[in-house]
Amino acid sequence: MACARMVKHLRLPLLLLLLALAAECNSMSPPEKPDKLGCRSPDKETFFCWWTPGSDGGLPTVHHLYYKTEGQENMRQCPDYHKAGSNSCFFSKTSIWVEYTVIVEASNALGNTSSDPLTFDLMNIVKPFAPENVTVVVNIEDSPHLTIQWHTPSNIDTKSGWVTLKNQLRVKPDKSKIWKNYASETQTHFTIYSIDLGVVYMVEVRCAIDNSWSEWSNTTFVKVPNFSRKDNSFWILVFSLCLIPLLAAMIILILKRKTVKKYILPPVPSPKIRGVDVQLLKSGQSEDVINAMLLNQRFPVMIPWKDQKEDYLIVSDKETSYLPLEKKKIFILPLAMALDSEVQSKETSEVDHFPKDSESSSEESSDKTESSQLLTKCSSANVLNDEKANQLKGVTEKIFQPFGICGYVDIPRHEHMQEADYSRVNEVNGDNILIMKKENIPHTLDTQGQEGSVPDNYSMVKEVNSDNVVFLEKHSESVNASFKAKGYIDWVNQKPKNLHMTGHSEMGVCPQLVGCEYVDTVPPPAVI
Amino acid sequence: NCPLSLLVSVVLVGLLCLVFCSQPTSLDAAPLCTNAEAGCHVLSLANLFDRVIQHSARMHSISNDLHSEFELYFLPSKNQIGRVSRNCHTSNILTPNGKENAQRMAREELTEVILKLLVAWRDPLWHFHQSMTHFHDFIDFSSNKSLKMSDMVHELRKGVQKVVEKMQMLGILSNSVSSLMSPEAFLAPGSAEWRLMKDYELLYCFRRDSNKVQNYLKILKCRIVPEDGC
Repeated sequence: MACARMVKHLRLPLLLLLLALAAECNSMSPPEKPDKLGCRSPDKETFFCWWTPGSDGGLPTVHHLYYKTEGQENMRQCPDYHKAGSNSCFFSKTSIWVEYTVIVEASNALGNTSSDPLTFDLMNIVKPFAPENVTVVVNIEDSPHLTIQWHTPSNIDTKSGWVTLKNQLRVKPDKSKIWKNYASETQTHFTIYSIDLGVVYMVEVRCAIDNSWSEWSNTTFVKVPNFSRKDNSFWILVFSLCLIPLLAAMIILILKRKTVKKYILPPVPSPKIRGVDVQLLKSGQSEDVINAMLLNQRFPVMIPWKDQKEDYLIVSDKETSYLPLEKKKIFILPLAMALDSEVQSKETSEVDHFPKDSESSSEESSDKTESSQLLTKCSSANVLNDEKANQLKGVTEKIFQPFGICGYVDIPRHEHMQEADYSRVNEVNGDNILIMKKENIPHTLDTQGQEGSVPDNYSMVKEVNSDNVVFLEKHSESVNASFKAKGYIDWVNQKPKNLHMTGHSEMGVCPQLVGCEYVDTVPPPAVI
Repeated sequence: NCPLSLLVSVVLVGLLCLVFCSQPTSLDAAPLCTNAEAGCHVLSLANLFDRVIQHSARMHSISNDLHSEFELYFLPSKNQIGRVSRNCHTSNILTPNGKENAQRMAREELTEVILKLLVAWRDPLWHFHQSMTHFHDFIDFSSNKSLKMSDMVHELRKGVQKVVEKMQMLGILSNSVSSLMSPEAFLAPGSAEWRLMKDYELLYCFRRDSNKVQNYLKILKCRIVPEDGC
């Protein structure tokens, strides 16, 4: 009886004990609180949160996320649990510059457990994703460089200015430990030039929104080839091609250096005398010098100067001339005229004066345009007695006989009319008799020479018979036919006393007769 | 190698040319001109926008650094993050809280918001800098940052005003913004709240507001002058 009562009292605790034991063996409990809450906004417009669930307590547990913004009282539930993956919540409609408070709650059959709240502002959780599609191209044509390109993560609105992206990349050789950073502001491409050949490079890119950087992208490996065969051979070819024409030009220049020198520095012409051999002169021998200087020379032919017209200068003695300032005329005897030696000897003393007078007369006659040619080499000049000459009226002259090449003087013509007495030939008897008229015909003869009136041939007066008979000599051919009759026969009729009255003597010459004068104003051509 | 050295030399020459030929782009060096004043190079609107955006980015980065340093120095426990957000003195300024909201906002409104924010922070930052001088430890590595930050707010405000004037001149912006140019107009009643904020909260709030300014400016630029960079 007492035993049964004891079992009744012990039944409930025993049952509880059994239940407790059973419960411990199965371990069911409410869930642990979720942990490690995090939220992130990749584009400053949306964000998502995640958590790490704790143990579920052996029972199926469900997690809920509740949030509230600053100024709200009630918690709201997460709008999207799936978009961001498991154990996450995605917020598409957000507000910035407001505080969010987020709590995650785990619940199961046995209970709920909430996590610690997380408060944040959207501007603080901005962190973009890493860039995508990073491509690296190696180029070693001109100079080795890497061209890197990438894409920014999608859904980032830079157009409205809401988001400003910055980019950064880093490169390091495979074996090295140090990264080299390069900043690329808003570009999505970059070129690196300082790379070495034959090295494997690692390239990574990241981007930032408002100074908040993303993670680095996946590493891209690239190998730079070791040696550019094509590059080198190209340059060798170019170099050798350039060298060949250069060498050829140099060889040509050296071979033709003299020509080149002549072309570049042309020789300066030095003065040269034609016909003179400088080398011969330099050699110094006298014969050669003479040869060089003279023999080879061709002297120009000298033509003797001749004047067509010549006037003769009257040369008179200083004392006897009473026409000092007048022009004088001169009479020149023809060559054939043989004045005998007594004439010659008398007047040799006059020869000395000759040049003087002729000079003075030439001065006096300088008015005349005709030039005077004086020949002083007149050793054989014959001059008449000047006494006789003085007695002549109107004319004083000196007569000189030209022998050979001397004795001709050009005289200036003078217009002074000379008075001369002439007798006109009345009648010619026979060959050599001239009968004169008695009257005196004072007429002046033009000294210019009326050529028409002067006969071509002359005859010498042999004898003057009376007042009006003159005997002419027979040999008229003695007179040089080449003489032009320019002059005239001057008869001295007025002073018959002076005339040498001889008989019919054959006298070729009447030296004492001043009147016996022949005038020949044309010089022989051979006079020099 | 011959071509490589030639290329390098050409690149160097080109770089030198760029350096000497390009205009200075730093905000501190060249003054901003509105009209073609003598000796003043007139900048395009896009250029002006780029300058102010760069400036705001620098400002935000400094504020971020300061905040992190402060947190590290004074409040090591992590859980303090974000607890003080409600007490920002600029909470009463309605600001768009998202991309779509900012895009939907009119240009004039957005510009006003930017200017309001900048104006609201001028005094608090100055006082923050003053208070920081008392913390001798903090001064060692942060004091110049706080001073720089307060200067930058001032400069940025002037820069944004220049941009607004240029836009108004070009007819892009209506003249309704001009009435809000004076700083006092922006200060709402109760603006002395900032004096009650703790320094840490101040830094937190400013970090957020500087980010807002930067983003709003970028949105504006790509909406008005959508040239390169958008």
